[in-house]
Amino acid sequence: MSGEVKTIFEPKSVVLVGASGGGGEGIASPAFFRSLVHNMLRFFKDKIHIVDLSGKLEGAIKNLNLVPKGRDLAVVVLPPKLVMKNWRKLLDRKVKAIVLVAGGFDQQQREELARGAAKRKVCVIGPNATAGAINPAKGLYATLERGLMPSRGGIAVISQDGAVGTAMLDWARFHGVGVSKFASTGDGIDVTEADLLGYLTRDKETKVICIYLESIRDGRRFLESIREVVKKKPVVVLKGGTARGEGERDKIFAASLRQVGALQVGDVEELLGVADALANQPPLQGDRVAVVANVGGPAVLVADAISREGLALARLSDKVVKKITEKYPDINIADWVELGIGAKGDRYKFILEQVLSDPSVDGVLAVNELKLSFLEPEDVQAVAEAAKKSKGKPVVSVTMGGEDCTLVREALGGRDIPVYDSPQKAVRALGALRSYGKTRARVEK
Amino acid sequence: MGLIAAKKKVAEILNSIRKDGRRELMEFESKRVLAAWGVPVNRTELVRDLSEAVKVAREVHYPIVLKIASPDILHKSEAKGIKVGLSSELELRQSFGELIDNARAYKPDAKLLGVTIQEYIPPAREVIVGTLQDPSFEATVMFGLGGVWVEVLEDISFRLAPLSAEDAREMIQEIKGYPVLTGIRGAPQADVNALVDIIQKVGQLAHEFPEITEMDLNPVFAFDDGKGAVVADARMVLGESK
Repeated sequence: MSGEVKTIFEPKSVVLVGASGGGGEGIASPAFFRSLVHNMLRFFKDKIHIVDLSGKLEGAIKNLNLVPKGRDLAVVVLPPKLVMKNWRKLLDRKVKAIVLVAGGFDQQQREELARGAAKRKVCVIGPNATAGAINPAKGLYATLERGLMPSRGGIAVISQDGAVGTAMLDWARFHGVGVSKFASTGDGIDVTEADLLGYLTRDKETKVICIYLESIRDGRRFLESIREVVKKKPVVVLKGGTARGEGERDKIFAASLRQVGALQVGDVEELLGVADALANQPPLQGDRVAVVANVGGPAVLVADAISREGLALARLSDKVVKKITEKYPDINIADWVELGIGAKGDRYKFILEQVLSDPSVDGVLAVNELKLSFLEPEDVQAVAEAAKKSKGKPVVSVTMGGEDCTLVREALGGRDIPVYDSPQKAVRALGALRSYGKTRARVEK
Repeated sequence: MGLIAAKKKVAEILNSIRKDGRRELMEFESKRVLAAWGVPVNRTELVRDLSEAVKVAREVHYPIVLKIASPDILHKSEAKGIKVGLSSELELRQSFGELIDNARAYKPDAKLLGVTIQEYIPPAREVIVGTLQDPSFEATVMFGLGGVWVEVLEDISFRLAPLSAEDAREMIQEIKGYPVLTGIRGAPQADVNALVDIIQKVGQLAHEFPEITEMDLNPVFAFDDGKGAVVADARMVLGESK
C-alpha cells in the first residue's frame, strides 16, 4: 500500500470525479455519478469539489486542473478509458487517497495505476471498488446506491465485491445493525484487505471486523495481520468461490484462519448475525449456556442447537435455584428455566439477574415469545437491562418467527442485545462468542 | 546440533543435490536432511555393492530393510525395489541381486547408486506428514493417517508453518481418524507428543528452507505412548534456487 489508509475513511475534503454526459449502463454511468454526488452532498459536512468532465452538472468544475492541490480523497466514477486518460492529471492534483469505483481494467492498465500510486505515494482503493467507502461517524457516504447509509455501530465491513457489500449494508439497515466503517476493495491493486485491517484495529468505533473475500491475495500477510487483530477484536471471514475446485487451497485457508484466530462463516446472514453479537456482547468464557424461556417449545429447539454447536446447557447451582423458587414457586427449572407464559419484564429481570450471578453459568440465551403468552415487546427491555449489568457474560435473545422478532427489535431500539429470529441463529452467535473467547484465552496465555 | 549448525548442514546437503543438477532428493538424502534437523529417522545407509551391504547389515543388525537407491526411481515399491524384514545374510545376498534386476527391468536406463540398508521398524501406527510451499500462504504443513484415510477419505488437516505445539496437537486431533491414534479396541494410545514434535520440526524446516517446495514423510511410524515416532520413508523436492 502506498499511502495512509486513514485518509480514505476520515477525509477533510473530497473530490468527486465523473462524467454526467453520455449514456451507458455501466457502473460509470451518469446516473450512478449523480447518485454519488447526491449521497455526498447529503451527508458530508466538509469540503466537496465536484468535477464533471462533461461539464453539465450544476456547481461542478469541468477541468480537473482547477481542483485545488492536496485534497484528501478523490472518488472517481469513470470508465477505464477515461480513468487512464486523466490518471496523470489526477495524480498531479496530489490527492492523498483515491477510490476507483468502476471495473473493467485490463492487466496492463492495472499495472499502470499501481505504478502511479506507488510513485506518488497515494493510497488507491480499487479499481472495481463498486460499493465505495463509508464512515457514518464522519458523514462519508461515498457509494453509488442511495438510501443505504447505515446507523453508527461497531461492525466494520470489508467486501471485495461491491454487490455483496451493498447487500450487507441493506441487511444491516433492515435489521437496525450499526456499522463503523465500510469499504469495497475490488481488484485491490494498491490497498488490500490486510492494509485495512491495521487501521480498523486501531479504530475505536470498530468492535468487530467482517470480511468478504473472493480471491485471497497476499495470503500470508493477510493471515499474519489477522493474528495481530484478534488480540484486540474479533475477525469474521466469509470466503466466496469455494466451488471453483481449489479444494485443497480452500482447506488450507480455512485451517489457517482457525490457526490465526479468525472465525469463518458460510453466508452473509451468518456473517452479520454473529458480528452483531461479537460487537455488542462479551466473549463466552466457557461452554455452559443457561436458557431462560417464557414458553417451552422454542427452548427445545434452542437446546438441540446448543448441542449441535458443541456448547452445553448450564445446570444452575442449588443456591440460585432456591432463590428463584422461593420467589416464584411455580417456575420449572430443568434443562432450561421456564418462566411461564405469564412472565413479564419484572420476572425476566429478577431471574436473569440470578442466573447471570451463578458461577456455573457462562452465558444466557433468552427466549422471548410474544405468541401464546402475555409478553409484550417492551417487556424484553428487561432482558437488555439484565444483560447490561452482567459482568463479562454474554446474553443473546431469540424471538422466533418474522414480525414478532422485528417488533422486539424495535422495542429495544438501542439494540443492547442481539435479537435473532431463529434458535439456530441465536445459538450460532453464542458459538461465535465462544470461539472468540477461546481465541482471547489463547493469545492472553 | 544447534540451530545454526543444523541450518548449515541442511544447506550443504541441498547444495550438493543442486550441484548434481537434480530437483528431487532420494530417500537417504531426505533422511539426512531430516536427521540434521533433529527429526527421528530410522538408520539408513547407502551401499554400492554386495560386500559393502553385508558389512553394513552387520552393523545395522538384522532384521533389515533393503531399498533400491536411484535418482531415477522415486516410486520404489512400484519398481519392486523394497524388501522388508530380511533376517539373515543369506536373505540379504539373495535379495540384493533381485532388487537390482527388478530396477533394471522397471527402468533400463535408470542410474543405480546401489541400495540402502535400513534399520527394520516393527509394526506401528502409520501417519503421513507433508509440507507444501503455497505461492500465497507460503510454508504449509499437512497431516493425515496413512493409506485409505488420506487417499480415499481425504482425511487431512493443514496449518501454516511455523506452528506452535498447540497448533500441531490440534491438527492431529482434528482428523476424523484421530481415534486410531488414541487407541481403539483396547489398543494403547500412540505417542502423539512425538508426532507433535515431528510436525513442529518439519514445519520449521519448511519455513526456514522455502526452496524445499514439497516434503512427503510417508510413512511415519508412531509407537505406543512414550515410545516415540520415526520417519520410515521420505522424499523432498527442491524449487528454483533463491
